[in-house]
Amino acid sequence: MFKGWFLIPLLLLTLGAHAEDWPGEQWPTGPTPSGAAIEALESYAFAPRDDATRQGIRTDALLVIQDGRLVYERYAGPTSAETPHLTWSISKSLLATVFGVAYGEQLFGLQDPVVRYYPALEKHPDMTLADLFHWASGLDWQEDYEYAPLNSSVVAMLYTRGRRDMAAFAAQHESFGPPGQVFRYSSGDSNLLAAALKTIVGPVRYPDYLWTALFEPLGIRHATWETDASGTFVGSSYAYLTARDLARVGLLMQRDGRWGERQLIPKAWVAFNREPFVHFQAGQDEAVPGGHWWLNRAADPAIHPWPDAPPDTFAALGHWGQALYIIPSAKLVIVRYGDDRDGRYRHNELLKRVMAAFAGQVQR
Amino acid sequence: MRRKWLLALVSVLLVALLGWVWLERVALRAFPDIISAYTAKEYCSCRYVMEQPADYCRGYVKQAVPISEFLETVEAKRVTVSGLGRSHSARWVGARQGCRLE
Repeated sequence: MFKGWFLIPLLLLTLGAHAEDWPGEQWPTGPTPSGAAIEALESYAFAPRDDATRQGIRTDALLVIQDGRLVYERYAGPTSAETPHLTWSISKSLLATVFGVAYGEQLFGLQDPVVRYYPALEKHPDMTLADLFHWASGLDWQEDYEYAPLNSSVVAMLYTRGRRDMAAFAAQHESFGPPGQVFRYSSGDSNLLAAALKTIVGPVRYPDYLWTALFEPLGIRHATWETDASGTFVGSSYAYLTARDLARVGLLMQRDGRWGERQLIPKAWVAFNREPFVHFQAGQDEAVPGGHWWLNRAADPAIHPWPDAPPDTFAALGHWGQALYIIPSAKLVIVRYGDDRDGRYRHNELLKRVMAAFAGQVQR
Repeated sequence: MRRKWLLALVSVLLVALLGWVWLERVALRAFPDIISAYTAKEYCSCRYVMEQPADYCRGYVKQAVPISEFLETVEAKRVTVSGLGRSHSARWVGARQGCRLE
């Protein structure tokens, strides 16, 4: 009878290892809650879809991961579990996470001048990599999409004057002020980072780096990331992932850069992503910029962009309603893909209903 | 007298307009390219990266500004779109790199 005692520590160790769920080839699943809270979530996210006028909230995918298990998944419109959906500006935060791997390789420092890695910025010798991650380059960039196409820097960059070499186009912009002082959301800043990465990891590794550094270690098999004609990744806009694969990046971030046994990204890097930019002022954007991720808290404790979500919520956000939300305190990762053509969708409303359905409470 | 004032007003407006055109000359020259380039690029990615059906993608890229011609070569995974007097093509270049404007 006593012979079995030595097995107990081994048993505990095994239990401990199983206490944490990670996706293998597929996500482990957990039971989906049912009831009024789920109905309230679905009535908001999956309101009848209007494909004629394209008005209203048009969710393509909604996926919830709770403590490493897939507990909710629903698709609409033409999107399925196999669709690598356009993430638009979620790409920016993915790029920052790729940079995290290079940071772990000690290939650069945040206070390094960008011109060291991207010589076209010779007129801006004081601009640091950290300034670009904060969208605070000081470059006079106009981030407007379809409503003001004439003067939109981003439309010109993606489709006309800048499309062959997007970073070079961004670098040609004049400064409106010194770098590092003022937040101004800019896809140009993100593409300057994408160009700097080419020097940081070297031109030989660069074309495969996003896959070798991030996607393959996370088990992401089908990711597309488009480049411009110069071979620079369109870091601002053009990453495509399935909802299930984007959630893998979410779990990596929720667990402070660790994937299984491996610290893929240094904790200090994730801390930088989640540290609010000190010069951000209320009303400058719909959420608070961190290090190329969006936060629900600011240096000013009065600012809570999403009052019904916990303050530790952070997100990667993209045009037309794309979102990857991470709530470490509730162990939740939420992927929401959409095709919202008007501004009706509200992050706070979705987060409130997800919290009610999966965290069992509405936190204020 | 009244006519004189009108003439002066029109002249001032004309000068202002010409000044604005001069200041915005680079953006104005590129402006007509937007619709065809946007439609070609985003349609190509919708079809060959997101692998959605053709009729869905035609609706997905539709904007208020109309296009005049649309040519998709399925074998080459290439899309050419004309609108506002300009024409642009996008082509699928690979599984990892997706589509790019030519």
